[in-house]
Amino acid sequence: MIEVRGLKKSIRNGARTVEILRGIDLTIPKGQFAAIMGASGSGKSTLLGLLAGLDSPSEGEVILDGVSIGSLEEDKLAEVRGRRIGFVFQSYQLIPTLTALENVMLPHELNAPGNARGRAEALLETVGLGDRLHHYPVQLSGGEQQRVALARAFVLEPPIVLADEPTGNLDSKNGQHVLELLMERQRESGTTLVMVTHDAQIAERADRKIHLRDGTIVADELQTAVRTETLR
Amino acid sequence: MKPALPWGTAGRIAWRELRAGKAKFLFVLLSVAVGVAALTGVRGFSDSFSRALLTQARSILAADVSARMFRQATPQETQELRALEPRGVRETVVTETLSMAMVKGDPIPLLVSLKAVNPEKYPFYGTVVLSARAGSGARSEHPSLEQALTNETAVVDDNLLVRLRAKVGDELKIGDEWFRIAAVIEKEPDRLTAGVGLGPRVMITRQALAQAGLLAPGSRATERYLFAVENKQSVDAVKSQVEKDLPEAQVTDFREASPQLTQGLDHATGLLSLICLVAMVLGAIGVAMAMRAHLQQRIEVLAIMKSVGARSADILRIYLLQTVLLGVAGALIGIGLGLGVEYALPVVLGKLLPLQPAIRLPLDPVLAALGTGVLTTVLFCLPPLLDVRRVRPVLVLRRTVESGNGGGWGTWLREHRLQMVSIVVILAGLAGIAAGLADSVVVGKWFAICLAGVLTVLLGLSAATLRGLRAFLSRTRLHLHSTLRHGLANLYRPGNQSAAVLAALGAGVMLILSVFLMQQSIVESLREDVKPETPNVFLIDMSTDELPGIRGLLAKQKGVIAGLEAIPVVAGRVESINGTPVDQLKVKNYPKHLLQSADLSWSGTVPAGTKVAEGKWWASGSQKSGLAVVDRVAARLHLKIGTPVIFVVGQKTIAVKVAAIYKVTGEHAFARSEFVMPEAELKGQPVVWYGDVHARPGAIPDIERALFAAYPTVTVINIADIVETIQGVVDQITLVIRFLAAFSILSGLIILASSVAGTRFRRIREVVVLKTLGATRRRIATVFSVEFTVLGLLAGAVGVIFANLLTRILLHRMDVTFHRDLPGSLGAVAATAVLAVATGWIACWRILGQKPLEVLREE
Repeated sequence: MIEVRGLKKSIRNGARTVEILRGIDLTIPKGQFAAIMGASGSGKSTLLGLLAGLDSPSEGEVILDGVSIGSLEEDKLAEVRGRRIGFVFQSYQLIPTLTALENVMLPHELNAPGNARGRAEALLETVGLGDRLHHYPVQLSGGEQQRVALARAFVLEPPIVLADEPTGNLDSKNGQHVLELLMERQRESGTTLVMVTHDAQIAERADRKIHLRDGTIVADELQTAVRTETLR
Repeated sequence: MKPALPWGTAGRIAWRELRAGKAKFLFVLLSVAVGVAALTGVRGFSDSFSRALLTQARSILAADVSARMFRQATPQETQELRALEPRGVRETVVTETLSMAMVKGDPIPLLVSLKAVNPEKYPFYGTVVLSARAGSGARSEHPSLEQALTNETAVVDDNLLVRLRAKVGDELKIGDEWFRIAAVIEKEPDRLTAGVGLGPRVMITRQALAQAGLLAPGSRATERYLFAVENKQSVDAVKSQVEKDLPEAQVTDFREASPQLTQGLDHATGLLSLICLVAMVLGAIGVAMAMRAHLQQRIEVLAIMKSVGARSADILRIYLLQTVLLGVAGALIGIGLGLGVEYALPVVLGKLLPLQPAIRLPLDPVLAALGTGVLTTVLFCLPPLLDVRRVRPVLVLRRTVESGNGGGWGTWLREHRLQMVSIVVILAGLAGIAAGLADSVVVGKWFAICLAGVLTVLLGLSAATLRGLRAFLSRTRLHLHSTLRHGLANLYRPGNQSAAVLAALGAGVMLILSVFLMQQSIVESLREDVKPETPNVFLIDMSTDELPGIRGLLAKQKGVIAGLEAIPVVAGRVESINGTPVDQLKVKNYPKHLLQSADLSWSGTVPAGTKVAEGKWWASGSQKSGLAVVDRVAARLHLKIGTPVIFVVGQKTIAVKVAAIYKVTGEHAFARSEFVMPEAELKGQPVVWYGDVHARPGAIPDIERALFAAYPTVTVINIADIVETIQGVVDQITLVIRFLAAFSILSGLIILASSVAGTRFRRIREVVVLKTLGATRRRIATVFSVEFTVLGLLAGAVGVIFANLLTRILLHRMDVTFHRDLPGSLGAVAATAVLAVATGWIACWRILGQKPLEVLREE
């Protein structure tokens, strides 16, 4: 479960301070697929980054399964990220010098004992890249690279997967394919999935839609239940 | 907390990255390799050069260590000397004495300078070259000493044959024995150090000397104990042991055999030390710049790794391993390159340089280079590696992360304290390496001080300049041409490495120019020391009346290049030093015998071939008393400026105080003088003159004959071959110094160029954006030129100032005149700018040619 309380983030740019998030309260239960929507600059990616502990908030806290991650030091945070969170980025963020297989194995090697090769190969197989194991990122298409990133996000079976516009750089066919795969993996392993997206169609398929504007939540709709909540 | 990433896994990840990004890593690898190659090459060369040169220097003494005594060693002393044998020290004795010799059929005897050797052992270094002319019955025209010298034969100077009108094969009577003249001595390696005797040389075996009955008790024989030391490092140890065993002997080692050689070797060692250090630091600069650029490129990869759960410690481990791997691989390639050059060049340049390809792998320089390469790589990668901790994983989401721009110095220092510590570690590491590499303590010390100085000034200067530029640009922004504005702004844009490039370039220029300036001054001073007109013929026992006639005769002789230089010699003895009578004096390794018959000279001015080291020489024509003493005698007799010394000459007592201590810088008439006074002190005393001239070697036999015909009592000694040896060695020192300086300057330029080129990866994005916006290649190249010109000029100026400072200090310490070279210095500033711009262009050329989309897609 993800809990967010009074989350604020401002960044200093020279003498100027820009407020990106102005106070977010949010609870995402285990196994839910939540879509975060909003215009560019509304603070979606920043929120995602704070949920993953990629950055530290200016105020407020993020609690993952009862543990407040805001107060953790960087190395502890890294451990949390490695064990509990999988990440899928819009621009894939594969390591260019590693092959597809090595990219998928990396989180396992960094965070868990034993050999990850079998599991990484199996995952790449399920995302349809069984014949691309030893290709480098530059030798793969955008859709293929994102599927590698997907496999990497799930290799440690984390309870939470965060996705930042995972289909944003892909054409509709490839985007659709990646989305199907992502949802399939989420359903199968009961993962909590938080996805930032611009695409209303994709958001429609989520359990819940959260709208951000100027750093605050302006709408929060549960789609599987009848209940609609409008928050402060 | 989860356990640290196992080294094995870290190694695997590091290796994968290396393997995949071959092209990019190649650059880092080459930087390390060039640095290490320079180090291996220079060290190797300097080793093999020293070996070759020292062998020649040893030949001047015929041994590593020589001890001269005026009596035979006592049985106890002999036994103590024997104890040196197990330490790999070989020993032989040479006896020198004066005797009369005559040929069969001519009753007039001639005073000869007799030398008795053991031809199986003597000489340890160099060769006695003999010539056995037709009719002598010798088996070959140039027999070896061992072949020619038996207990029944003698080998002699050509001068003896001239004087006695004898020829090879004739019988010569020395003492009670008859000897057959087996050959003529063409070259006697230790003729100079053997002491200039009073007559032509005759060499016989030691056994023959004993048979001839010449060594009666009380005879004025000189015993020279020659030692060859197997392990060359222990020459000093053997020397001090011999000094202890033979307290009355004058002990010298091969480095003291000739003043020019000693100085040449000292200077060469100093310069070679500097060159080695320069190679090491330049290599380190290359490595540091390459690794910095490499890690900067990897920042996004680091952010990705952190976002998938890597801790800073894990990443440090991975990249530390990668760094060590790169360091080892680069160092091995560098050693290969260095050895290749070292083995190949003597083959190509063997005729010019006194270098022979090493037969075995030169283990010491190779290990030093490997250690230095890996150590400097790791040391210099510390600051960028430590920066890894500050890479924020949020970079994967947002490129611009807030810039910590508040807090002032305190915050800055807190944030950078590890970097500060690492800088101290680097400096300490460099100092350690410098101490290990430098054969000269002076060079090592001043080098480290100047390097720290230049880096501090450069970093301070770069901060000040960049701040000044920023202020200047914010005022003049829109008035400047946009290309110039952009180029200048590039110097302080976020993430720019101007400070690092400035430091690298500035330090590099300092080092390279120092080598150049030192080399010039040292070569100049060697040339002054060994002028072509160095005397090569000695004349002994001229009377004051004969002097003008001899001068006139020599002036008319063909082949005499420099006229007669003469030194008056008055026989006297030392009565007391500092109030202590001679027989109560405690002197070490200076035969008291020499004080009983001291040779005194006079000179109104500082004589040619000497230099005042302490005190002041009296004015020409001075009536005041005073004494000048040669430095080695002053040291052994503990004479300081102002020490009172009393001499007795004939019936006259002369009380003087030491006014000057001088040292011998060249092979001139005064080179063998020990005590010099103003002329007034010695007026009216019986005097003989010693003299020297420089003549064409081929013409010397004719000069000897002409002199003998007119002045039969004057002894002539031909040392042309020894002078040639010394000149040859000094010429070779000059050549090797030039060669190594050029080698290190060239490799330095390559390293500096690669340092500048290493910043090119940062430029890719900028070039792409500029091109997307419609900038032409020419426009982008101009922007970069402005940036690099400013960098080059700044770095060049600081480097030149410090190079002059370092050179001045080092040369002063080495007692060499510093020659200021303004055009060279200004040229260096300009050249740095040109080098920076040229390499900047070359490095960016490929990027300029790339299509923006290719790069964007790769991104």
